[in-house]
Amino acid sequence: MKYSNYLLLAISVVAVSCTVEKTDYEAEIATDTTEYFDFEEVSTINTGDYNLTIEALNGTLYKGYNEIHVTLEHAQSQEELSNAAVTFLPILTDANGKQSSCPHDYQLTYDTANGYYVGYAVFTDITSSTAGWELFMEVTLSGEIQAVSQTITVEEQVNKNLNMTAFTGNDNVQYFIALVAPQRPDVAENHLVAGVYKYIEPTQVAGDFPDPSQFIYAVVNDHTLLLDPRMPEPSMGNHSSPNNEDLTQQNDGLYHGVVNYTMTGNWTLNFIFQDAQGNTIKGTEVPTDFTPGIEGVKSELYIDILF
Amino acid sequence: MRLVTLIIFVLGTWAHAQDKPVKSDSLDVVLDEVLIVAAKKAKIETDMKMAVSVDEFLASSESISFIKRGAYAWEPLLNNMSSERSIITIDGMHIFGACTDKMDPVTAYVESNNLSEIDIKSGQEGGLQGATVAGSIDLKRKSSAFGRANIWDAAYQTGFEFNNKQFFNLANASYSSDKLVVDASMSHRKADDYFDGNNDEVDHSQFTKFNTSLGVAYKTSDLSSLRVDAIFDKAQDVGYPALPMDLSLSRALITSATYKQFFENKLLKVWDSKVYYNAIEHYMDDTTRPENLVHMDMPGWSTTYGLVSKANLKSANYSAEIQLNAYDNLSIAEMRMYPQDRSEQTMFAYSWPWVTTRYAGLSMSNALDVSSSSVLNFGGTMGVNYNYSKYIEFNRIFHPGASQEKTRFLPSLYASYQWYPGKFDVSVGTGYGHRAPSVSEGYGYYIYNSFDRYDYIGDPDLENEISYEVNASVGFTHNKGHVKAKVNYFYIQNYIIGRILSAGSPMNYQSVGVKGYTSLDYATLFNFSLQADYHLLHNLHWNGTLTYARGLDDNQNNLPFIRPLSYQTALHYRFGDFRFQAELNGDAMQVNYSPEYGEDETPSYTNLNVSADYSFYISNYKTVVQIGAENVFNTYYSTYADWGNIPRMGRNFFTSLKINL
Repeated sequence: MKYSNYLLLAISVVAVSCTVEKTDYEAEIATDTTEYFDFEEVSTINTGDYNLTIEALNGTLYKGYNEIHVTLEHAQSQEELSNAAVTFLPILTDANGKQSSCPHDYQLTYDTANGYYVGYAVFTDITSSTAGWELFMEVTLSGEIQAVSQTITVEEQVNKNLNMTAFTGNDNVQYFIALVAPQRPDVAENHLVAGVYKYIEPTQVAGDFPDPSQFIYAVVNDHTLLLDPRMPEPSMGNHSSPNNEDLTQQNDGLYHGVVNYTMTGNWTLNFIFQDAQGNTIKGTEVPTDFTPGIEGVKSELYIDILF
Repeated sequence: MRLVTLIIFVLGTWAHAQDKPVKSDSLDVVLDEVLIVAAKKAKIETDMKMAVSVDEFLASSESISFIKRGAYAWEPLLNNMSSERSIITIDGMHIFGACTDKMDPVTAYVESNNLSEIDIKSGQEGGLQGATVAGSIDLKRKSSAFGRANIWDAAYQTGFEFNNKQFFNLANASYSSDKLVVDASMSHRKADDYFDGNNDEVDHSQFTKFNTSLGVAYKTSDLSSLRVDAIFDKAQDVGYPALPMDLSLSRALITSATYKQFFENKLLKVWDSKVYYNAIEHYMDDTTRPENLVHMDMPGWSTTYGLVSKANLKSANYSAEIQLNAYDNLSIAEMRMYPQDRSEQTMFAYSWPWVTTRYAGLSMSNALDVSSSSVLNFGGTMGVNYNYSKYIEFNRIFHPGASQEKTRFLPSLYASYQWYPGKFDVSVGTGYGHRAPSVSEGYGYYIYNSFDRYDYIGDPDLENEISYEVNASVGFTHNKGHVKAKVNYFYIQNYIIGRILSAGSPMNYQSVGVKGYTSLDYATLFNFSLQADYHLLHNLHWNGTLTYARGLDDNQNNLPFIRPLSYQTALHYRFGDFRFQAELNGDAMQVNYSPEYGEDETPSYTNLNVSADYSFYISNYKTVVQIGAENVFNTYYSTYADWGNIPRMGRNFFTSLKINL
């Protein structure tokens, strides 16, 4: 009888502990991704008569796609102004003093429901010791223009799910593809959103700096991004997923599609970029064979993600 | 879990405190008789071998075959159907393995010395405990009766098997007084790699298993008793030569509390209710396989709570059992792959995305004596099965819009008529029943099957599998022998099996593609067995078995894992305190194999096994020693159901010793 009691004691001791803890899945998929929902203040600029408050997710401008919210108020009365024309022009000055811009919404539009001016910027580079960004804005109200500029800081995007790529297409046009969503993918069917932009070469001689006509970028319309997601890790043998959908442009101007991630880790979004007629502008088909031990071959046009 | 074990501990102590002799009266005797009937004593040993594993014992049944992935934890196939189609329970308790690769069938968590018998029911007659197609296997634990003549009873068994240097020690003891019964057992087995018929070592075929059990029963009144039971099983360092991974540790804790109430002079005889809890953790390990390209962790957990309540009715010519079954199971399996550059991010997915299964079923089985020589058995079950996948997004990758919750109704019916004209016994029967897809079939996600080398994907919205079954048997008994032929035929609608998917690509590096569980329109299965035994002389006994099965899908192609023509014939000779046995068994060539499911033609084989034992007394304690050899001719062979054609064990000498104390 003593024996049985000892046995019960032994059973009780081993039973209360699991040898290996179960994975906390929510924490697992958040390891390399941070999801931001709140727009916070990046900077406030005073033009003299007006205060311009610039907001972005997490109060930070990152390399890649940034949705920009701007609130405009009268400096004295602090009255919010909704009927102004607000322009937005980011300029990068590199080590050689060469100036360039990036895809951006020059003419911000007023969002009546939310009470701010809305636009976007796809920063192509981060602020470094040799290169910096300056933001030029103009407010036009009742025919009166007030211009202002402010140095801004662009930080590295640590969330690889918001990566971007810039390339020159077969048509010699400079294009930009920036991932917009999901910020935090799941091992699931994910709604994939990207912005696709191009640089329009200036047709006239530059005027006084900053001349917006020298820095025109436009949303690319009615093109298609054919999608083939794969895991590049050699041991994954060029693994892919089923039921993906190519990205096509929707009413918001962005390109929407579906990507399925079958597990967490490194994935490569292989693209073939085609115009409305189906001509390939950039990108190559990738092998579909399962090749364990060999790193997956990427398309000419791809974006790596990680979650 | 803490609470449950605490309760058991407290109950155990309390039962100990109650340990004092009580005068028996006539009512006790009545109760004890019933209890003794309930605790039928059958030995877990085969004709050939007295110290067998649970698997070896099950293998001696003609309706069971095995898929073997190594030397340990064979997957039992009942009526040539995989384990999803049968219900395997321990004393009626539902338990579900925690390994996606079926390394741990339920039978792996018990040991021969804590079982009293194994109850195998074919087809829908096995539907009493849950929805099934193939039937049920109930592993019955030892349970001593109250007020046994000898208060203490114990046995010790030890042995050594030379081929794989398996050394085992099994001990069990029981105490029985009028008020209190305690059954306890403990066992340990440790084996190295085995050697095949070419004397080559089969790497990764070692195992170590520890098992202990304890049952304490207390007679709460003249006609009632309360019993608590626990089994703890731990397997470590188990190799699976047919799989790309081994097992580092699996643990199971199986607990229950049973209350039995007897009734006198009423139609209702016994009412037996049990609540149970079991938890299994299972950790696969590939660090023993440096040749693997990818290092993976694949832990699994399975936790089940349940209730079984049954009532036995009996009158002069009618008996019945009514059973209520309910359980809740949570199955979780994870996989984490490590990239070659370990500084990189690991890759994670669920192979069972937290799948809950809840089942409740009410069933009844009836036996009516139609005449003095015929019995009508009939019964049925109405079950409700509910599934919930917490991370349904995994399943939706392959099945967009798949339902997160799924409720199914699982009816079953059966009837059979037994007739005993003279020396013959004849039975005919029929059955109809539904089963729900298993966790893997419904919710499995990239479960690698190393047999056909495909990754398998479950489908949450699979239809119920529906079985229509007919069976018949004819037996003839002679004063010196007995012969019996049995046939059954299953027509299974919506037969669930893996089919190649055009979408998706493999995840496991050994894999060649992705298969999804889909429903065939139907499949058919036919099983035949012929058994005979005969006393040639009063001390010379012969028996033999012949089985044949055929399984076809809806295109008349072969189903996988259908046993070819097989035979077994044995002679037993007794001379004084000596017994000698010789057995020949084998399979004919597997002609009807299924290349689609990774099978190839398996050649025929024949094995000869011999053993001898001697019984004697060491100061009143009956002792038996046995020596023997399996696969005497050291034949190199593998059977149709050896995963990846791994060779079976070559010649194996075994010895064992058993002392009944």
